[in-house]
Amino acid sequence: MIVVHYLNQFFAGLGGEEAAGQAPARISGAVGPGRGLEAAGLPIDVTLTCGDDFFGEHEPEALARLLSWLGEIEPDVLVCGPSFGSGRYGYACGSFAREAGRRGIPVVGAMTPDNPGVLAAEGAAYIVPTGPSVASMKTALPAIARLAHRLGSGEPVGSPAEDGYLPRGLRKNVRLSEVGADRAIAALLAKLSGNVRTEVESAFDRVTAPPAIGDLGSCTLALVTEAGCVPQGNPDHLPTRHSNIWLRYPLSGVGSLSPARYESVHAGFDTRTANLDPNRLVPLDAVRTLEREGRIGRLHAFFYTTAGVDTPMAVAAKFGQEIASELIPAGVQAVILTGT
Amino acid sequence: MFITALPTIAQMIGANRVLRGHAITSPTGDPSLAAGDEADLRRRIVERALEMLSTDVGPSTAWEVSR
Repeated sequence: MIVVHYLNQFFAGLGGEEAAGQAPARISGAVGPGRGLEAAGLPIDVTLTCGDDFFGEHEPEALARLLSWLGEIEPDVLVCGPSFGSGRYGYACGSFAREAGRRGIPVVGAMTPDNPGVLAAEGAAYIVPTGPSVASMKTALPAIARLAHRLGSGEPVGSPAEDGYLPRGLRKNVRLSEVGADRAIAALLAKLSGNVRTEVESAFDRVTAPPAIGDLGSCTLALVTEAGCVPQGNPDHLPTRHSNIWLRYPLSGVGSLSPARYESVHAGFDTRTANLDPNRLVPLDAVRTLEREGRIGRLHAFFYTTAGVDTPMAVAAKFGQEIASELIPAGVQAVILTGT
Repeated sequence: MFITALPTIAQMIGANRVLRGHAITSPTGDPSLAAGDEADLRRRIVERALEMLSTDVGPSTAWEVSR
């Protein structure tokens, strides 16, 4: 069996955020977590790696390179990750998985269920669900090795529940012995005793795009960010990851976000560039210029900030609702949200 | 609307007005430019954002800054 393993720059040992711009590279044998896969019984022939930022910003080029290597190697199975809660890495894994799947290569991934990589994979990968951090590595590796071995040797794989992977969005009709009404009552009784289960997973809620702003020149605009921009020293202790709060800071009399007075504490990207000029994250100086020129009515007196790192979707949605419930009564009609 | 260097993810999650930012590490700036040019770029990014806010769009629409 020929196995290829995809890792990002960090797990391939090339560096942290400062190496996130690394172009794709090919390494013989196992690296980092790949050695754990080998210990779990899955020998790795080739490791492919790409920086998370490079993939996100040059996706067609990254995919072309990675897929051409896959074409040369012709693996029996591709393993991507584990990427846990990392959004950019998970997205790279899911996108690579999707394209490998289109070329007939079975793929195993591992990440949190609401990682954008799950959607990006479009059902092509068998994704082992993990927790958000590297703490899940020990349990993830044997599960990945098991699934990959099955797929690579052409053995059949059971249902998601049986074989421990996330539903792939494929619908298989089965005949059950009980009718729907009986199953619904059984599920309700189970729920009442604390055992919640479902036969159908919920989809994302979609919001209709609000109509265009008719007259920008009289509109109140607000700035919101998930780039973790805060006053220097992070006085209110915005968490740098897994944040459970958002914060609000005044902009009255502030024409620009100076590096002396503001910084980013976001743990998910290399903040050095942004900390030399925080307007690179929240474009306050440009908005003020356009406000002076009358291109917008006014900028709202506060900006809102959080650090979107390993943030569960439900928490992010709650933040959005809470911030919106301040903006709307304040007469804000439009928001520029910035993020990484 | 949402300025991000990863518009595909934003579209997948259901953001309707998405503008591609310059880079993950500086969505509304470009450190390789001279100060004046970077200010011009940031202004163009915000102007494009305002254009998007004042345009009717379908679901999950992503624009480039262009120029």
